[in-house]
Amino acid sequence: MNKIEIGHHISQQFNTELEDIRQRVLAMGGLVEQQIGDALSALVDADIQLAEVVVRSDYKVNAMEVAIDEECTHIIARRQPAATDLRLVVAVIKTITDLERIGDEAERIARMALRLAEAGNGGARKHFTQIEYMGDRVRKMMHEALDAFARTDPNAAVAVWRKDQRIDEEYEAIMRQLITFMMEDPRSIPVVLDVMWSARALERIGDRARNICEYVIYLVRGKDVRHTSLEQMEKEARKGTGGAGA
Amino acid sequence: MEPETLLSADRVASVEPGTASAGAAPVRAPRPVPERSGNDTLGPQTGPDARSDVKIRVRGLNFHYGKFQALHDISLEIRERYVTAFIGPSGCGKTTLLRAFNRIYELYPDQRASGEVILDGENILDPRQDLNLLRARIGMVFQKPTPFPMSIYDNIAFGVRLYERLSRTRMGERVEWALRKAALWGEVKDKLKQTGTQLSGGQQQRLCIARAIAVKPEVLLLDEPASALDPISTAHIEELLDELKKDYTIVIVTHNMQQAARVSDYTAFMYLGKLIEFSATDRIFTNPQRKETEDYISGRYG
Amino acid sequence: MRSSAAATRLYRRRRFVNALNLGASVLATAFGLFWLVWLLWTLVSHGYQWINLDLFTLPTPPPGSAGGLSNAIVGSLMLTGVGVAIGTPVGVLAGTYLSEFARASRLASVVRFVNDVLLSAPSILIGVFIYNIAVVTMGHFSGWAGGLALALIVIPVVVRTTEDMLRLVPDSLREAAAALGAPRWRVVLVIVYRAARAGILTGVLLAVARISGETAPLLFTALNNQFWSTNMGQPMANLPVVIFQFAMSPYKDWHHLAWAGALLITFTILILNIIARILVRTRKTGH
Repeated sequence: MNKIEIGHHISQQFNTELEDIRQRVLAMGGLVEQQIGDALSALVDADIQLAEVVVRSDYKVNAMEVAIDEECTHIIARRQPAATDLRLVVAVIKTITDLERIGDEAERIARMALRLAEAGNGGARKHFTQIEYMGDRVRKMMHEALDAFARTDPNAAVAVWRKDQRIDEEYEAIMRQLITFMMEDPRSIPVVLDVMWSARALERIGDRARNICEYVIYLVRGKDVRHTSLEQMEKEARKGTGGAGA
Repeated sequence: MEPETLLSADRVASVEPGTASAGAAPVRAPRPVPERSGNDTLGPQTGPDARSDVKIRVRGLNFHYGKFQALHDISLEIRERYVTAFIGPSGCGKTTLLRAFNRIYELYPDQRASGEVILDGENILDPRQDLNLLRARIGMVFQKPTPFPMSIYDNIAFGVRLYERLSRTRMGERVEWALRKAALWGEVKDKLKQTGTQLSGGQQQRLCIARAIAVKPEVLLLDEPASALDPISTAHIEELLDELKKDYTIVIVTHNMQQAARVSDYTAFMYLGKLIEFSATDRIFTNPQRKETEDYISGRYG
Repeated sequence: MRSSAAATRLYRRRRFVNALNLGASVLATAFGLFWLVWLLWTLVSHGYQWINLDLFTLPTPPPGSAGGLSNAIVGSLMLTGVGVAIGTPVGVLAGTYLSEFARASRLASVVRFVNDVLLSAPSILIGVFIYNIAVVTMGHFSGWAGGLALALIVIPVVVRTTEDMLRLVPDSLREAAAALGAPRWRVVLVIVYRAARAGILTGVLLAVARISGETAPLLFTALNNQFWSTNMGQPMANLPVVIFQFAMSPYKDWHHLAWAGALLITFTILILNIIARILVRTRKTGH
């Protein structure tokens, strides 16, 4: 069973319902991705308008989470899904929780952008290159995680999962650098702290994207790989290629 | 895959009786719990398995109704004091397999089984087996409640009298014990002289369970015991199974997958007379290894 | 889409056909009932006035004197008793064999066929047969020969009803008993018989009803006896034969007794049938 099939239920309606939640997760993911991008642009370009748009749009993400959650509850109550179907529903419920939190992080970045832009403080600008660089990485990781979810590809999920380590390293580096700035020029501390929070938000987004990858592996292989080693995870992800199956 | 988590440590020490028969695997060998990759059935092909808690071991079982072969080379192990469920679409042979465990099929001349069904080291398909003693050790409850046309008391005493001569008081105690075990005592204690047929469907079925356990069997076979009952009665029966598995090895055939998921520890999925997958119930229902199993339990067409 | 006019036409036609068939069935039923009611009416109107105490206390009289049917009533009871006493065990056992032990065997189907032939054999044939093997060898008519002839009529009826009734007992009940480890004989004796008890009893009652009106086999075997006798070794009075003789006679008072006897038999059969029906009904509701 290397491929996950959502269709082919005797009940067409069930097929439709499962496909529907899957599509809605992808749509929610797309929206969250856009929020991150916009928040980063607003930060870097000191674009107050854009930052406000991001802050105002967060409710959409929240509403989507609530709606998908509800539909999952309906499916569990009415269909009693089993096996892959069950794992899909569980993976969806977990994924949207993480997506919602990612949305919150994007909102947080947008608020930083607002504060920095309103303060008119150009002093922060010099820190943005690194933030921009890390933001790009995080966005890419997000995108690939959602892609792995869309294609239910556990190998891709492991590859994405790995990238989080790089992001963590990057975060460490930024932190060290920002601390140096603060020590050199104590007046910059308020600004640098905001930048730090943004970096922290990006790092969290990376962690949550990693969670989504773990759900993909759970969905396809039926194995919970949270809190296991990377080796274990890779082993699980690869299993289907040569192991049991019909 | 082995359902390791189910095999709690306190069971490891239990001693297997009935080692007399020749050819029985050595008992109480150290029990490693290896990960069996690539093989879904807990069958003999996985190598000598000397677990002390295997109650029934089926090996190469074939079954014929006249010329029609209903079971093909079934091998599996039923664990002591666990609930094992057989699921599968109609006509897959799950009931046939169950009926081989007490040779009840022998009531019908054109049905026959070949292979081995080993209960505590003895092949019960051996024609020399004393059928009546065998059936005292393996109780059975059927799809439709089958109270005998006699009083509630006599319904239970009937089976006991086949094997034991008890005084009136002892018999009374036994009847009460069985009815209590079957969670029916409270409802019938004042009307033991009434005929069993006057009870409700769910009560009748619990009466049948009480009747089966009154003779103190070791194994309890249940053939869709709740399929004719309403959800409340079904819940009563399922609750009962949970209670009974402390003392008995239970095998249940059910059409209702959710029921199998609720009550069983192990689940065997059968299809077209073959055992497709047999493993821990949690695993079957969250992560089956075979596509046929997946399709069946998630309601897909193959 | 069919036009509504056509649909209405079709509907009318169906109603017409329905009414026609319903009418024909009701008429046919009324026709059958008409004769039955006439028959019973004739019987009751001719017979009721002669039902009195004498009928039950005095033996059959010579023409012209007072008398009753006491010897014939007692004789009929005894003959029927002997017939049932011999026929029932044989019939029940044979029916049990067919249903429980030899359901699909060739022997069973042969037995079943022969039994059906016997069931529909003309009763006079049975009379002639017993005349040959019992009356001729013994040298005289006797109550025993009569009882034997009646037993031969009882057996196929009981075999048939027993088998049918036992088969109505669901296999699941047998399986349930067998699954407890009960041996076969015990399953049959304790479970199956108990479940089919009322049905088997009904069969026996119907057999009694059947033989209590039989004349032909008794003509050749028990014959008749004008006097009070309870000796089974001797010819024996019985209602059917007495009715036959008295009705054929030229004497008025004998005719009266014949009507009374016929009413008596009919009434007995009616009661037996009612009891049988009640038994069947309680059996059904009992489950």
